[in-house]
Amino acid sequence: MTAFLKKEWMELVRTGRLWILLLLFILFGIMNPASAKLTPWMTDIMAEQLAESGFVVNAVTVDAMTSWTQFYKNIPMALIVFVLLSSGIFTAEYQRGTLIPVVTKGLSRRRILAAKASLLFGTWTALYFLCYGITYGYNAYFWDNGIAEYPLLGALYWWLFGVWVLSWFLLFSTVAASSTQVLFGTGAVSLAAYLLGLFPKAGTYLPVKLMDGMNLLAGNTAPGDYSVSVGTACGTAVVCMLLAVVCFDRKQL
Amino acid sequence: MEMLTLSHVEKHFGEKQVLRDVSFSVPEHTVFGFVGQNGAGKTTAMKLILGLLPLNSGQITVNGSAVSYGNTDTNRFIGYLPDVPEFYSYMTPAEYLSFCGEITGMPKQEVKKRSHELLSLVGLENENHRIKGFSRGMKQRLGVAQALLNRPRLLICDEPTSALDPAGRKELLDILTAAKKQTTVLFSTHILSDVEHICDKLAFLHDGRIVLQGTLKEVRKLRRASNVELEMEYARDAELLLSDFPFLRRQGQNLLFLEEGKALPEILGRIAEEKLPIRRVERMEPTLEDLFMEVIAK
Repeated sequence: MTAFLKKEWMELVRTGRLWILLLLFILFGIMNPASAKLTPWMTDIMAEQLAESGFVVNAVTVDAMTSWTQFYKNIPMALIVFVLLSSGIFTAEYQRGTLIPVVTKGLSRRRILAAKASLLFGTWTALYFLCYGITYGYNAYFWDNGIAEYPLLGALYWWLFGVWVLSWFLLFSTVAASSTQVLFGTGAVSLAAYLLGLFPKAGTYLPVKLMDGMNLLAGNTAPGDYSVSVGTACGTAVVCMLLAVVCFDRKQL
Repeated sequence: MEMLTLSHVEKHFGEKQVLRDVSFSVPEHTVFGFVGQNGAGKTTAMKLILGLLPLNSGQITVNGSAVSYGNTDTNRFIGYLPDVPEFYSYMTPAEYLSFCGEITGMPKQEVKKRSHELLSLVGLENENHRIKGFSRGMKQRLGVAQALLNRPRLLICDEPTSALDPAGRKELLDILTAAKKQTTVLFSTHILSDVEHICDKLAFLHDGRIVLQGTLKEVRKLRRASNVELEMEYARDAELLLSDFPFLRRQGQNLLFLEEGKALPEILGRIAEEKLPIRRVERMEPTLEDLFMEVIAK
């Protein structure tokens, strides 16, 4: 399995995917505090123009919470880009037939799946916490993170949501023939969960609840309020991965 | 000892029957030619042997163990060269071979030595570029190297010569012949001269069925009588013979064709009697080509 993991890593580095992702997550990390920091300056400029047309704008105060709000607004975009850029990790190999020499050399399919999955979750975790760390660092430097309750726990919940989406992504990757199908499947599941989450009753049970870190930081919700959705997220992720193992064993390469 | 056995193998894709009751076996240290037109089912049969497709019925054994779909243990005996081999384009040939070696669990030193050996065997020892820019012929060569890397007991090649130029083809056939000492070779082709050059045994696959199989000698013997070509000096003599022996076939101005050499003494007698000048009388050895055409015409 280490041989295949090395190959996956080489692919990530040499195809340039790693650098694009790294750049993107760093950029997102910086953008959150930066846009918060720039808000007063921008409203100042706007205020002059608006004053001419009769609007009065009060001075805006920004703090770490403004930056965290940006974080929770931007991170879904980062996840979407991550999934888009990783969409071909299985299907490109099916289409080009590059797994055939590997399988016919006796490497078990489960090891291939395990290598691909660990690198997928590994890069997600590393990049996500890199982005989080950058935002956290700037927040501490400019303002004070102390006004946010449980910043790390909120981020962990959102990270788990990412893992939940990626486990669906893995399952679809072992079934579908093209990356479009994988993206369509993953997108459909996420959208369905999001729409169901709009009903207040269903919302508390669904993994989409994990995206709502802002209320936890603001103190509107308690950590325990998320326990059911943590359970469903973990449960479905495990089921997805078990199904992926079964499907990949029978996948025609 | 049989290295590979297929017994009563059936395979269909939906409605389409691709293999019907295919049975044959390949003894150790033979080069077995698997001949058939495009679409006859050769690649499907090979993929079944590799466990890349599920069987509908029948059984396949490699080195005595049964093949199963998905993860099959028997693959550790096999080296496989696909018809259009594809590799990770961001690796160099040496990197790819060391990756293959690691997968099969070969010791590092051995991989290094063997890769070097094989890359010079297939003429890629000086290629330090990534596989990205390789031509189909170069990929085919690398394919041979990766298939032979772990000294497989059974080497399966799917139309290995079809993408190569004449020089490359000869080299590849030499490699396969040399490989025979160490391993058993099963290769598919539609180029009959390749079969005549290197095969010990062969099977003709047509329309999903084995229509003919045996050693090269046995298969050739099936057409015991050979045809005769008769070239006369003058066209009018050819006409004369044609009127006396209507079963002759005219193939040119003064060229006659005698199927299976029947009544040759009589014809020669007539030629002697009339003192007809002849250019040439030649017994045509039946080629596999003839046999193949005959078989698929049935």
